Amino acid sequence: MAETVGDEFKRDRAAARPFSLKNRFIGIARVSPTLASGVIIILAFGFMAVFAHWLMPHDPVSAYPERVLKPPSAEHWFGTDGNGMDVFSRVIYGAKFGFGIAIPAVILAVAIGVPVGLVAGYRGGLLDEVLMRFFDGLRVFPSIILALAVVAATGQSLLNVVLVLGFLDSPVFARVVRSEVLSLRSSVFVESAKAAGNPTWRILFIHLLPNAIQGATAQAAVRAAWAVRISATLAFLGVGIQAPTPEWGAMIRQGAEFMVTGQWWVGIFPGIALIFLVFGLNLFGDGLQDLMDPRRRAVN
Amino acid sequence: MAIPLLVGIVFVTFMLVRVGGLDPVGRLAGPTATAEEFEMIRAELGLDEPLWKQFAIYGGNVVRGDLGESWLSNRPVLTDLKERAFISIELLFWGVGIGTLIGVPIGLRAAFRPNGRFDQISRVLSLLGFSIPTYWLGLVMLFVFFYLLQWAPPGIGRISLMVSPPDHITGSYLIDGLLTARWGAVQSAAAHLVLPVICLAIVSAAPIIKQTRAIALEVLSSDAARYARASGLPPKTVRRLVLRNSATPVVTFVGTEITGLVGTMSLIEYVFAWGGLGQYGLNAIVRGDFTAVQGYVLTLALFSVIVFLIVDIIVNLIEPRSELT
Repeated sequence: MAETVGDEFKRDRAAARPFSLKNRFIGIARVSPTLASGVIIILAFGFMAVFAHWLMPHDPVSAYPERVLKPPSAEHWFGTDGNGMDVFSRVIYGAKFGFGIAIPAVILAVAIGVPVGLVAGYRGGLLDEVLMRFFDGLRVFPSIILALAVVAATGQSLLNVVLVLGFLDSPVFARVVRSEVLSLRSSVFVESAKAAGNPTWRILFIHLLPNAIQGATAQAAVRAAWAVRISATLAFLGVGIQAPTPEWGAMIRQGAEFMVTGQWWVGIFPGIALIFLVFGLNLFGDGLQDLMDPRRRAVN
Repeated sequence: MAIPLLVGIVFVTFMLVRVGGLDPVGRLAGPTATAEEFEMIRAELGLDEPLWKQFAIYGGNVVRGDLGESWLSNRPVLTDLKERAFISIELLFWGVGIGTLIGVPIGLRAAFRPNGRFDQISRVLSLLGFSIPTYWLGLVMLFVFFYLLQWAPPGIGRISLMVSPPDHITGSYLIDGLLTARWGAVQSAAAHLVLPVICLAIVSAAPIIKQTRAIALEVLSSDAARYARASGLPPKTVRRLVLRNSATPVVTFVGTEITGLVGTMSLIEYVFAWGGLGQYGLNAIVRGDFTAVQGYVLTLALFSVIVFLIVDIIVNLIEPRSELT
């Protein structure tokens, strides 16, 4: 969107409307359609996850032995799978796993990565050097393989998947926060906070953190998308979450063998759901990055 | 510089197997083993030694090229890996090569007219490419092109079962077939390559589009580009300048991206039963063959290090500023 004086004016007028969630959202949608469509998709899936029990026409794990591998119909919108379970209900229930894994994993990654980045950036020196080298070193391992191998080695449970994804993702946040802190370290407000006798933890968490966290918030959405994708991949390979749990990756695994025999509905629908949620999170993260990065805005 | 990294890599692969509640002894001993038998096996495997000593032994073995024996195939892991390495590199080469050839021009064109229609479309497409699970894409392709249209061969292996593979020269059926003039084999191998290569190309093009656009935009707003435009140079010349200055960061990005793509590729191999390194590694992980997992992860890390080295060399060759040195 080429920003002209007219656009500015329109935006101001939008902002001048009485405050309501709806008006606020319209304002955001004008500036960044990407962000807005991301929000809509995420909210839709959030709704599905929270109200799954009201939305599901059938129980996601009870099998109808007489209705195995039936194509989509009025009774079973997305057909039934190899166990005779309703694919539509299972896809809806799967949203719970998407959020249930991604949100705690990202929170864990932030909880580890942000303090590490703060301290490393503020202290500098050997600690910083060693940490950054370690994070750089981890880059030579493909993240999906590392996640797979660690989950397989440490025991396969949902909790473990969350822990491993959280740990593996923390360097991203450490790196973002560290680079912010590096540029803020010698700024006036930090110097004066130091001169006023604030202890280091106060400078780090009260003064630096709010200023350094911005870049990390945009990352959080992108990394949530990553977590949803990787956890589904693990389940697809049968690591971590096992069928017949109604998780999208596990469902695609069930559908894989039917794909070459023509029963496409078992594997296609959970994949579409997965794509939409990841796409929504990516749109949201991309939009946030666009809004927050002054350089990317300046070019437009 | 590279030596601590290599030691670190060996350490990570070593710890990978030791961090968890994983117990090779229990697996070897079986359910009826007595406590003494357990101790005997532990001693035999060297697991009763202190951790640092185990690491020293493991490191020494790795340096000598001994990666242990896989209990799935009952063969030295190194032999297994060597046999499959080229099969995977062939797929990676075609997939990433085509992905780059698609991604870079699209990213550049998007950057030249930011927020134009082409940019908007390519941005949504690349975000979509980020979001599609590779294995699902592979399965859908098999459904459409094998089951529905019957254009593609079934996703099992690298060559039709009816065609005998050509003599082993490089390990790539395509190249070996060409070298030995076995046209039937060449045709079958090429047909089997198409779907996995398209999959990998789509998945690798997405981040390349996004990053190339960002890099080119940055170069476009640099002082050099602004000066060139202000001096009234024709747009074509400015574009050439942007191309030249974007080349280094784009090559670096593609290089770092390959590491992640190796992981993605193993999923494609898994879906298409490709029989390469990736499928071997995933099988080892899923079935708990941890000697093989160690060897596999180690190989991937070494591969990344080699790719980074090659990228450094290429960057040195094409970087305009390095002509001076």
